[in-house]
Parts: sequence; C-alpha cells; structure tokens
Amino acid sequence: MLWGRGVVYAHTKIGFARGDKQHMKILIVEDEPKTGAYLRQGLAEAGFIVDLVADGIDGMHLALTEAYDLLILDVMLPRLDGWQLLRAVRQAGRDVPVLFLTARDRIEDRVKGLEIGADDYLVKPFAFAELLARVRTLLRRGKTKELDVLRAADVELDILRRRATRAGKKIDLTTKEFVLLELFMRRLQEVLPRSLIASLVWDMNFDSDTNVIEVAVRRLRAKLDDGFERKLIRTVRGMGYVFDPGDSE
Amino acid sequence: MTRRLSITLRLTLLFGATSVIVLLALGYFITETVEHHFEEQDLDILVGKIELARHALSGVTSHAGLDGLSRQLSDALVGHSGLSMTVLGPGGHILFATPNAIFPPALLSLTGTAEHVSTGLVVWNQGEHMFRGLAAVMPIALADVSPVTVAVATDISHHAELLGTFSTTLWWVMGLAALLSAVLGWVATRFGLMPLRDIARISRETSIDRLNDRIQLNSIPIELKETATEFNDMLARLEDSFRRLTDFASDIAHELRTPISNLMTQTHVTLAHARTIDDYREVLFSNVEELDRLARMVSDMLFLAKADHGLIIPLLETVNLARELTELIEFYGITAHERDVTLQLSGAGIVMGDRAMLRRAMGNVLSNAIRHSQPGGIVRVIIDGHDEVSVRVENSGAEIAPEQLPRVFDRFYRADPSRHPASEGAGLGLAISQSIIHAHDGKIQASSSNGLTRFTIQFSGGVN
Repeated sequence: MLWGRGVVYAHTKIGFARGDKQHMKILIVEDEPKTGAYLRQGLAEAGFIVDLVADGIDGMHLALTEAYDLLILDVMLPRLDGWQLLRAVRQAGRDVPVLFLTARDRIEDRVKGLEIGADDYLVKPFAFAELLARVRTLLRRGKTKELDVLRAADVELDILRRRATRAGKKIDLTTKEFVLLELFMRRLQEVLPRSLIASLVWDMNFDSDTNVIEVAVRRLRAKLDDGFERKLIRTVRGMGYVFDPGDSE
Repeated sequence: MTRRLSITLRLTLLFGATSVIVLLALGYFITETVEHHFEEQDLDILVGKIELARHALSGVTSHAGLDGLSRQLSDALVGHSGLSMTVLGPGGHILFATPNAIFPPALLSLTGTAEHVSTGLVVWNQGEHMFRGLAAVMPIALADVSPVTVAVATDISHHAELLGTFSTTLWWVMGLAALLSAVLGWVATRFGLMPLRDIARISRETSIDRLNDRIQLNSIPIELKETATEFNDMLARLEDSFRRLTDFASDIAHELRTPISNLMTQTHVTLAHARTIDDYREVLFSNVEELDRLARMVSDMLFLAKADHGLIIPLLETVNLARELTELIEFYGITAHERDVTLQLSGAGIVMGDRAMLRRAMGNVLSNAIRHSQPGGIVRVIIDGHDEVSVRVENSGAEIAPEQLPRVFDRFYRADPSRHPASEGAGLGLAISQSIIHAHDGKIQASSSNGLTRFTIQFSGGVN
C-alpha cells in the first residue's frame, strides 16, 4: 500500500496527519458527545472519513448498510450495547475490524469482546496518539507486505542484513536501537506514543514511570541526526515521537 | 409462602403447645377419675339396695307375705329420695314399685332362674334426669311368682351437673394455665435470648463511623461463644479494611488535588487574556503532561483496587526469571546508564506465574532501586533458584530508616515527600509489585542496613 504525504496538521508541521489516498472510512459509535466529537475531529484530521453516531441501533444500521474499513465502538451504548452491535455485524458476515472503547476494564469484558470477535480493546482514558496508532495497525493488518529494505529521506534500513545507513554512511546501532528505527520507518509520520514503543520494542506492556523511552530515542536520534542538518526524529510534546522524512519525497 | 418465624415466637408456641398437651392429658385423667369414683359410689349403693331387696324377698313365704313386702321395702327406701326400685314377677307383673320408678325395658327383660343374675350398670336419661341402674333376677320361696326381677336406679343428674361444672372450671383453669405458660415461655425466651439481642444491638449500631463495638465475650453463654467470636473477628476485619480504604480514598483525593489544581489554574489564567498561538500550545502541552500522569494514576489505582478484590488472577505459565530479568535490565539499563548506575544479574530460577505481571512487579522494584542508587553505584539482581525461588534486588545508597521500612509498600508512599512527584511517579509502583506478588502467593520484603537497601521477592514454590 502506498502511503502519500500527509495533510499538514493545523499550526504544527507534525501532527497526526498521514494522508491516505484511499480514504479509509471509519464508523464511530460513541454516546459521550465530547469524546465522540473529538474522536471524529482527530481521525478526520488524520485523513480518515469518519461517521459518528451516538446510539447502538443507528450504529448497527450504518454498519450493516455502509462499507466501513473500521468500527470504533463504545461498550456502553443506549438501545443496543457494543457487544450486541458487534454480534449483529459478525452474524451478518462482515469481518470489518472492530476496536472497542470502554471505561470498565474487566478481564471478563476483554475475553467476551475477543470471543465475539473484537480486534482490539482500549480502556479509557487513553491517549489519542495511542488510539491512532492502534487504528492504523488494524487498518494495515494483512494489507502490507513487509519490505526487506526500508528507505526514508536519505536513510536506508536493510532488515535482513541488520544494516543502517544515512547518506551512505553506516550507523552503528544496538539491537534494540535497530528495532526502534525499524518501527519508526515502518510508521513514517505517525506519532508513536511512548507506551506503544515500550510495548513493541521492549515488550513492556505496562505503564512505567521511567524515562527509558526518552533516553532511548535521544540516543537513537544522536546516532541518526547528529551532523545532519535535517533532523528526522522529532518529539511531539506530550504525545510521543515521529519519524518525519520532510518534503524531499 | 413460608416465612421464617422468630425464635421467640417459635419457642413461645412450643411452650404453649407443650403445656396444652400436658394439661389436656391431666384434665382427661382427672375427669375420668372423678367419674369413676361416682360410678363406684353408685354401684355400692345400688348393690346394697339389691341385697336389701333380696333379704326382704327371702322372708316372703306366702302370698300374704308379698303384701308386707311393699311396706318393708318402702320403709327401707325412706330418706333415699333419688332412689327408685321395682320388683317384678314373671310376665312383668309389678310386685312393688316406687312412685317414680320408670326403667328402660332392656333392664327389665332379664330372664332366667339362676340364683343371681345381674346386669352391669346401665345409664339412661329420663326427661331432664339421668339415671344409673342395676337389675338382678332372684328366686323366691313362692314357686308361682319365682323368679322375680329386682331393678334399682339412682338419679345421677346432680353428679352429671357437678361433673359438668367441674369440667368447665377445669378447662378454664387449664386454658389460663396454657396461656400463662405461653406468656412465661415468651418471657423466658426473651430473657434466654438476651445475648442474641446483644449481637443484634451491636449489629444495629455498627455503622461506618462506629466499627469499634465488640460483643463482651465474658457475658456470653457458652453456646454462643463461637458465633460471638466469629462476629467480633468479622468486625475487626471490616474495621481494618475500611480504615485502609478510607486512608486510600483520602490519599487519592490528596494526590488528585495537585494536578487538577495545576490544570485549573493554568487554564483559567490562560483564558483570562488573549494569548499567542504559541502560548496556547504551551498550555496544552503542559496540560497533556498533567493529564497523562492523572490517567496513569487512575489506571494504577484501578489495578490496586482489583487486586484488593482478588480480581487479579495470574495466569500460570513457566517463567524463566533469568530471561525476564535480562530483558528488564536491558530496558531499565538505559536509564541506569544515564545515572551512571551499573546493573548486574546473577543466578537463575524458574517459577510458575503470570509472565507479564511478574515483569511489571520486578520492573517496578528494579526501577525503584535504580532511582535510589547513588551515582556510580551498582544494582545487583540475584536469583536464588534453590528450594524456594527468590529474587533479591540490592542497591547501595541512602538507607531507609527502620520505621519507614514497613511503609515502603504503602500506596502513595514516597521516600522523600519534598521531591516533586513527577520525578518518581505517583508512588504506586511498589504497592503494585506487592499486589502482584501476593496474587502469586509470594512475599516481598524490604530491608536496609550498612548503606545497602535490599528488596526480596520470595516465591511460594519453585519449579525445577
């Protein structure tokens, strides 16, 4: 799948933007008005086409009549809850990916969701960057083929040979730094929250109060960007980090 | 619909029923005895009169003698107003009869020639009167009149009347006695169940602000001692849990106050005047940081709350401690390196447990050790895989005062309260570690001496 240049997020050069020429369609069913409105705005600004409804029956109707690439469902919904909605969608034979949002985090809920056929599960409160990262993971699932050589700006990453170069010059990276750079380059221009990096690179699936990720990114950045005028890895304050190859492509 | 009756009502009803049964039996026995006594008395009199008649008849040897018989018998019966007698010859011919003598035919139809044939006692009603009678057949010297039937009866109306009055009185007395014993039973039950009412009183008076009442065990009967002890223990447990919950709740309120206050002040001040875009952005960035901290605190507190309710159920998988700790050291080593702290791992061990949870538990302990290690120091992680598996995490640095040691696993505990919370999180990390280790039936302890602080995680059973 080709990922084009992103729409520039208002006032910041780096936002969540990562345009998609295919215009992925997402349905949000969320009855909390503020949450719903901000999710719609955030996802729309990230380049998705978003429909938002506030109750389960309307949600089911839309999910069964329109073609969506992803459903984002709140569990507690008026008239028809998220579980019932998902069941109806699955019974209709639709295997659209489904991301659940919930304010209750109970193991049995998770199990129930996965049994019915939810693809992911996010507990409120969550960072929007986290949601966006998961949305993209779900949309990408099974659609991209894993490239063996990644290129962005003047950086080249040879996955098989574990070799990284920038402007032809070899960069010495530790194993984890290599994995981290690979993650950034597979998700160009996506803001990666710290928790996601900790989970994907170090398999630390809990919030820890250390600054490990900051230090790790700082070190990678030193190796990658020092001596170059264009800085490729940027910090998005309060949200995470992004690999931004700039306008050269 | 069956409703459970109260013990008092039950015992009262039982008392009442028991006394009614006993009194009924007693009443029946008394009436029977009295009646039997009257019957014996009547029998004596009637037999006496039959004998009298026999004696008089034995003196009759001629038809003329029969005439004298009437006078003789009348004289004998004078003063016995309730008595009737009749003497019949063969074929029902009346030889003698008192004026009021009316006998049922059954009594008079005795036949036979035997010396002495007699009926049993027979009772019958005559108008408003009741009689008890006896008849006998006896031979006499006059062959053409022999044998004669002698029947006597006595009016027992007054006996029946007496018995009636007696039974009525008796039933009244017994009814009252039954009622009285039910009432006394109720009183006795109330009194006997006083200790239970004590328990009820304490239960009633127990509320969240009065959890300290206990049942006085020395005033409790032996049958209730166990129940009362259990009850007191339950109150003690509730009091303890409730106190911890209250502490936790007030801690939460306190911990939330600072970030919320920051958010509010900052937002209000910013809104008070027009700002540049950059200023607004700066405020939003700052808010995001505070909100992140709040969100993490909330999810940590939820985790702890679930642990308190026994809802943290670890998976049981084989966990290679050396491998997990190697990865944790690789992760936390990045910050340790920044602080010039060296991490060392030795030993190996395998336990059954939830890999992700144990990672979190050991990670928090490791992170804590790195944070409290002095620059240039070493954090040693030692796995002791013999017998019971344990993990020790040691760091050199400022000691924890002995009185503070038990508190390090408390929620929101921070070694140095003056330090800005942002530098070390909400102070829930070690509490979470403890919850996870407890959920694995393990123990976690802290000790500190000679410039060395050591956390020991003791697993309940190793797997080799």
